[in-house]
Formats: sequence, C-alpha cells, structure tokens
Amino acid sequence: MQEDMEAVYVELVQSSWKKYEEYIHNKRMDDLLIGGVIPVMVGDGYALIDLSSDGINHYLRFEQLDSRERIIFRLTNLSEELVTAKVLGRHAQVVIGYGEHTQKTQTLFETFKSEMKSAFLDTNEPGVVTVDADVTAGYIYVQVSLIFDLDSYFREGYDIDYLLLRKHIMATVQSLQKYLRGRLNA
Amino acid sequence: MLSFLSQFQHKQEMRESKDEILIGEIVFAMTRINYVAITFHAHDDRQAVTFKPKDDPMLHSLTIILDRKTGDSAIGQALMGSKATLTFQAEVKNYMADPDDLLHMYKTDLKNMFKLTIAGQIKLNHQLNSVLATKKLIIDVDDYILKGETSSKKLQETIQAMIGELREQLVPYKKAN
Repeated sequence: MQEDMEAVYVELVQSSWKKYEEYIHNKRMDDLLIGGVIPVMVGDGYALIDLSSDGINHYLRFEQLDSRERIIFRLTNLSEELVTAKVLGRHAQVVIGYGEHTQKTQTLFETFKSEMKSAFLDTNEPGVVTVDADVTAGYIYVQVSLIFDLDSYFREGYDIDYLLLRKHIMATVQSLQKYLRGRLNA
Repeated sequence: MLSFLSQFQHKQEMRESKDEILIGEIVFAMTRINYVAITFHAHDDRQAVTFKPKDDPMLHSLTIILDRKTGDSAIGQALMGSKATLTFQAEVKNYMADPDDLLHMYKTDLKNMFKLTIAGQIKLNHQLNSVLATKKLIIDVDDYILKGETSSKKLQETIQAMIGELREQLVPYKKAN
C-alpha cells in the first residue's frame, strides 16, 4: 500500500517536472530567439557589437566589419504566457534594420525628412519600411517590422531550424538593402 | 529618434564592443558543438550566457560569464590589453522523486551538501539537486576575436577543453534518472 502511494507521488513529481519544463521553455523563448539570431549572423560574417534589453524588448546590433554594413534587431516575445502560446502559437515581433555608413548622414537625413515626419512611422504594422539615421555614428538605416512564427524555428527539445531562420533574416536584409540603395541613388 | 536606434549605446571605437564580439563568437562556437543558448544576461562589463547541451545526457547546462577587467579605455587597452575573466560553470542535475532514492542521496552526499570543494582549479558546489563545477580563465579578449579562423579555432579549442575538464569532475555526481 505504502509503495503504491509512493509510486503515485513519484508520478506526480515527474508530471510536475514536465509541466515546469514547458513553462520554463516558453518563458525562455526571448532568449532562444536571441540565441538563434546570433549564430545565424555571426556565421554569415557579422560581428555582434551590441546586446541589450529593457526586459521586454531585446536589442542586437551586428556589423560586417569590412563593409561596415550594420544590421539591427529588436526582438519582442508576443506570447510569453503559456496559454497564449498554446492557443495562438508562439510569435515574436521582429524589427530588422539595415544600415550603411555614410559621410553625408545629415544631407541624407534631410532627404528622408518628409518620410520621417510621416504619420505612418510610428506604426508597428508589418511591412512598413521606415528610415532613420544615427547621425553621431554616421549611419542611415531602413527598418521593417515583422511577426515571426517561432514554432517554425523552435521545436521541442531545443531543436532549432537555423537554416530557415537564416533564410528569413537574409531575405529581409536583402530587401531592405535594395530599398535603401534604391532610395540613396534615386 | 523615432526608431529603436537610441537603445544602442554610442560606442565610438571597436574596442568598446569587444565583449559583445566575443559573446557573439562564443554563441556561434557553442552552436557548432550543439549547445543552444537559453538565457542571456548583459551588463556593461559583464555578460553571461547559459547553454543547454542537446546531445549530452549528463550535463544539464553550461554557463559562460565574460567579465571585462581592462581595456575599456584607450589608455587601459594600450597598457594592459583587453584582459577579462572567462568563467565556465557546468551543472549536473539529478531528477529524483522516489523518497528512498532521495534519502539515499541525502545520506551519501550529506558531507558535500552546500559545500564548496576545490578539485585542482575547479570549484565544486553541491546544491540540493544540482552539482556545479566552476573554473575561471584569465584571457586576453584580442586572442579570441577578429583574427579569422585562428581566433575561432582557439576559442573553439578553449571551450571544448573547459567543457571536458568540468564534465570529468561532474561524472561521479550524475545519478541515473
């Protein structure tokens, strides 16, 4: 009898571990995404030059040291609650920016002034390409907000599809690069 | 500033980003040996990343902490280089639920519980269901970054050697689950 009860207790503990791991895994999605993006970018020849967080949004900045091209990320987990993740799937807002170094940042800033004043700039609507400049460092950026379906990249047991993540990031970077260069040469 | 550009600090020189570059290289190197980054803690001069080994049934996690000691100013960099400590902490976790097993573990491991022991340069820290092995290295960050294949190889070898050493110390503490 006592052994039966002990067996029940062991089962309870084991199922608790399983549930606990599920909660922890979901809570870690922000970090898993950061941990997915970094090797993709470093593997593609970019150096991580900035990593910070305000607790909700996570910021990454990479630089291709030869060309000085910069890629910036703002990553936000949209499904921190396990219930949300289970019902809607695991999603993250991913803002990707592409920047080029220029000696004429101020002039370029003027060129894009009308765009920067646009009422659309403040929106998080996916696909809206916005322009910004880091005048101090001499960079002009274009950026776009997307919503990534994390279940496509992160499977059970910490299995990450780096190839798919890379494909999605690089496709976005390439499109932003085309847009920025097109605008600069217009 | 309309976008999140203002979130990034203005690091005028590459030396100010060396910690981050090394962290990036560490995460990449760990991915190559099937470790997944699961938590990040980033501060100005101290960064910690915890990894989960995908193919190691023994290790529960491995944390790497980069603590920059010198080189955050141009003068410091010129005088002493970019010295930092790299702390490796490997964890073995024993998932035991059976009261008999727990009792047995408590009796046999009682002498070690919550104690820090030193094995060589490795510190062993016994917690309730975890045993942590820690070793620190003093490094020059410049040896591990921005030198192409040479620095990547050196970093990869250092990491693998450290994991091997810590793992060896922890083997006796892993209970069959």
